[in-house]
Amino acid sequence: MGKRWTNRIALGVLWLCGITTVTMLGAVILYVFVRGVGQITPEFIFTKPHGVNAEGGIGPTIIATMYVTGLSMLIVTPIAVLAAVYLAEYAVQGKLVDAIRFAADTLASVPSIVMGLFGFALFVEAMGLGFSVLSGALALSFLMLPIVMRATEEAIRAVPKYIRWGSYGLGASKWQTVSRIVLPSALPRILTGIILAMGRAVGETAVVIFTMGQAVYLPLSPLDSGRSMTVHLYMLAMEGINMDAAYGTALLLMVMVLFFNLSARWLAARNRRLQG
Amino acid sequence: MAEPLETKRAPQAGAARTLKMMSRATYIQEALLKNLFLTCAIAAVAGVALIFFFVGFRGWPVIEDPGLAAFLFGSEWSSTFGKFGIGPLVTGTLVVTIGALVFGAPLAIGTAIFLSEIATPTVRGIVRPAVELLAGVPSVVFGFFGLVIVRPFVAELTGSMGFGPLTASLILAVMIVPTIATLTEDALRSVPPGIREASYAMGATTWQTIYKVLVPAAKIGIFDAIILGMGRAIGETMAVVMVAGNAPQFFEGLGAPIATITSQIVIDMSYASGTHRTALFGLAIILFIISMGLVAIVRALSRLNAKRS
Amino acid sequence: MSGSTTLLPIAEVAGEMYGESHPGVSILVSGMGSSAGIESVSTGSSDIGTSSRELKEAEYELDLADTPVAYDAIAVIVHPDNPVRELTTLEIRSIFAGVITNWSELGGPDLEIGLVNRDEASGTREAFSKIVMGDARFDLGAVILPGTGQVRAVVSDIPGAVGYISLGFVNDDVRAVAVDGIEPSEAAVVAGDYPIQRVLHFFTHGEVSESAVAYIEYVLSPAVQDSVVRDAGFIPITAKEVHGG
Repeated sequence: MGKRWTNRIALGVLWLCGITTVTMLGAVILYVFVRGVGQITPEFIFTKPHGVNAEGGIGPTIIATMYVTGLSMLIVTPIAVLAAVYLAEYAVQGKLVDAIRFAADTLASVPSIVMGLFGFALFVEAMGLGFSVLSGALALSFLMLPIVMRATEEAIRAVPKYIRWGSYGLGASKWQTVSRIVLPSALPRILTGIILAMGRAVGETAVVIFTMGQAVYLPLSPLDSGRSMTVHLYMLAMEGINMDAAYGTALLLMVMVLFFNLSARWLAARNRRLQG
Repeated sequence: MAEPLETKRAPQAGAARTLKMMSRATYIQEALLKNLFLTCAIAAVAGVALIFFFVGFRGWPVIEDPGLAAFLFGSEWSSTFGKFGIGPLVTGTLVVTIGALVFGAPLAIGTAIFLSEIATPTVRGIVRPAVELLAGVPSVVFGFFGLVIVRPFVAELTGSMGFGPLTASLILAVMIVPTIATLTEDALRSVPPGIREASYAMGATTWQTIYKVLVPAAKIGIFDAIILGMGRAIGETMAVVMVAGNAPQFFEGLGAPIATITSQIVIDMSYASGTHRTALFGLAIILFIISMGLVAIVRALSRLNAKRS
Repeated sequence: MSGSTTLLPIAEVAGEMYGESHPGVSILVSGMGSSAGIESVSTGSSDIGTSSRELKEAEYELDLADTPVAYDAIAVIVHPDNPVRELTTLEIRSIFAGVITNWSELGGPDLEIGLVNRDEASGTREAFSKIVMGDARFDLGAVILPGTGQVRAVVSDIPGAVGYISLGFVNDDVRAVAVDGIEPSEAAVVAGDYPIQRVLHFFTHGEVSESAVAYIEYVLSPAVQDSVVRDAGFIPITAKEVHGG
C-alpha cells in the first residue's frame, strides 16, 4: 500500500523531470524564434553589416563560420580517421594507448576559453599567423579531434569481424583490408561523427574570438581575419544596442546547429535501417 | 562523451601473421602505414602537451610577479592596482558550479531515469531529441535567456539586482542537463535487463527497482556523468558573463555579483597587457589542470567499474 | 591611423565608407590606446593619431595639430520612476564608490542603490573614472556589465539602479540626471557647461598627406558627423555651430 503510493508519486516526479527538460528547450527555442524571426530576410542573410551598431545583414559572418568550420574539417578528418584506425586495428593494450585515450578525453573536455587562449598563444602569436581563418581552424581542429576519433573508432569496430576474415582469407594485406573493406563500410558512421563535430564547431565562441578575431570583412584567404556568427552574436549581445540583429543571428545560428544535429541523426537512423 | 573504451589485442594480427604470403614491398608498406597511423594517434597526446606548454609558458612569469603565493592565495583581483589574487575567482567558480550541480544533476538524472525506464517509445521520441538539441544551443542564447527571463525572477526573489550566483547557477544547470542526462541514460542502459526482471519478479514497484537496484548498479556511471557535467559548468564562459555580475569579490549572497575564472578571463583579455595578461594565462592553465584532473578521475572510476563487472 | 579604442568605431566605419567612395585609398586603423596613437603620429609611423584625452604637458613639445572630431559626454542614468533628478559630482562619486548606498540619503525613497558599472576595457568607464572618480575606487560589489545597451536595459528595468552611458545613447527608457545643476543636453555639452565630458581628437604632425587631409575633412562632414558619430553615442563636433557654442 505504502509502496504503491510512493511509486506513483515517484513516477510523477520523474515524468515532471522529463516534461521540464522538454519545456526548457521549448522555451529557449521559442524565445529566440519569436524575437529573431522578424529579422530573417534575404537582406539579412546576404548583405554585410555597416555602421557602428552593425545595421544591415550578417552575410560575411555566415561565410566566415562556414569557412572556418570547413577548413578545420579538412584539417582534422585525415588525422582523426587515421588515428582511429591505429587504435582500432593496430593498437595493443598498454601505456601508449592509455596515454592516447587520456589525451583524447582531455582534449574533449578542455574549456573553450583555454583552447582559445592556447590558439592565441600558439597560432596567432608564436607561429605568426595572426588573427586568421587558419588560426581559428587549427584551434577548432584540436577540439574536434577527439569527437571524430571516437566516432571513427566505434564505426570501425562495428564492422563485423567476418568481413575482415574474408578479406584476409583472400590474401589481402592489412592496409588493403582497412582501406578497401573496413573504412568504406564504416563510412556512414564516420560521416555522422564528422557532422556532429561540425555542429559543435559552429557553436564555438571563445575559441574563435581569440584566434580568428573580429574583423567584420569577408575573409577571402585563410590568412584573413573574419568574424564568425557566434562572435558577432556575442559582440551584439554585449553591446546591447542592436538587439534585433542579435536575435536574428542567434536564430540563424541555432538553425545551423539544428541542421547539423538533425542530419547526423538522420544519417545514423538511415544507416541503422540499411544495416539491419 | 561516453566512457573511454579499452582495446583488446587485435586478433586479426594473428591471422595476418600466419598468412605470410607477403612480398617484401608490402611488408615495408604495411610498416610505414602503421607508423603513419601511430603518428596520427599521437596527435592527441601532442595536442595536450602543446596546450600545456604554450599556455603554461605564457602564464609562467606569474610565479615571479606577483609570486605564486600571492597569485594562488591572494584574495584581491584588481588589475588597476596590480593585484592578481585568484581567491575570489576560484570561489566564484566553485559556488556557481556547485549551484549548477545542485539544480541540474537531479533534474538530469531524473530525466535520464524517465527516458530509460518509464517513457513510452513515443514520449521517448520527443524527450530524447529535446535533450540532444538542448546540447546544441549556443551559450550566448542561454545568456540572453538568463538576462531577460531568469534575472528579473531572481531579483524579485532576493530583493537584489538579480546578478549573481543564483542566476548563474540556474542557467548553468540548464546547460549541463544534456551532458549529465545522456551519460546517465547510457549508464542505466548498460545495466543488464535481467536485473530489472528479477526485481519485478520479487514484487518490487518500478520506483523501488529504480532506487534500490538500478541506480546503485549504475552509480559509477552516474558519478562519471556528474563529474563531466561539472567540467562543463566550470568551463562555461559566455552565459556566465551575462548573468553573474562579474564583480571579483567573495560570495556575498545569492543576489550579489560574483566573478568566475572563465568570466574574468574573457572580460579582461581584450585589454590586458603585461603582468595582467600573464595572470590571465595563469588562470587558464589552472582551469586546464582542473579539467584534466576531472578527466583523470572519470577514467580511474571507469577502470574501477570495469574491474568490478 | 592609430590610437584610442574609443575612437575605433568612428575611425573604422568612416574609413570603410571613405574607402568605398575613394577606391585606391586604404585606411588602416589600429587601436592601441591614446598614448600609443600620439606617439606614433609624432614619429611619423601613422598619418593620424586618435586620442580620447588631451595632450599631456610633455606632449606639447611634439608640435601636433589638433582636430577635434566629437564630444563624448557621459550621462548618469537612473530608472525613470526614480524621483531623484539631480546629483552633484561629489554625490555621484560617493555613490559609485559605495559610500552612499541608499537613495534616501539623497532625498529619494528608501531604496537600495543598485550600482551598475562597466568593464575595465570600456572607454566610457575610463573617462568616467578620470572625470568623476578621480582617485576614488569603484565599489567592488558593483555589477559589471560589458556593454552600453546592457547598462541601459538593466537600469531601465530595476527601480533602484544607477549607471553611466554615453549621452548619445540615452533614450526614453531611462532618465539622465542633472549634474551639478546642469541638465545633460547637447547644448550644455557644446557650451562646456556639462561637467562629465571630454573631446575626441585627431592629431596630425607637420605636413599631412592629401588623402589624410581629405579623410579628416570627410570625418568632419555631415555624412559622418550626423550618422556615424551619433550612432556611436557621441555628439558631433559640428553641433557647435548649431548651438552657437
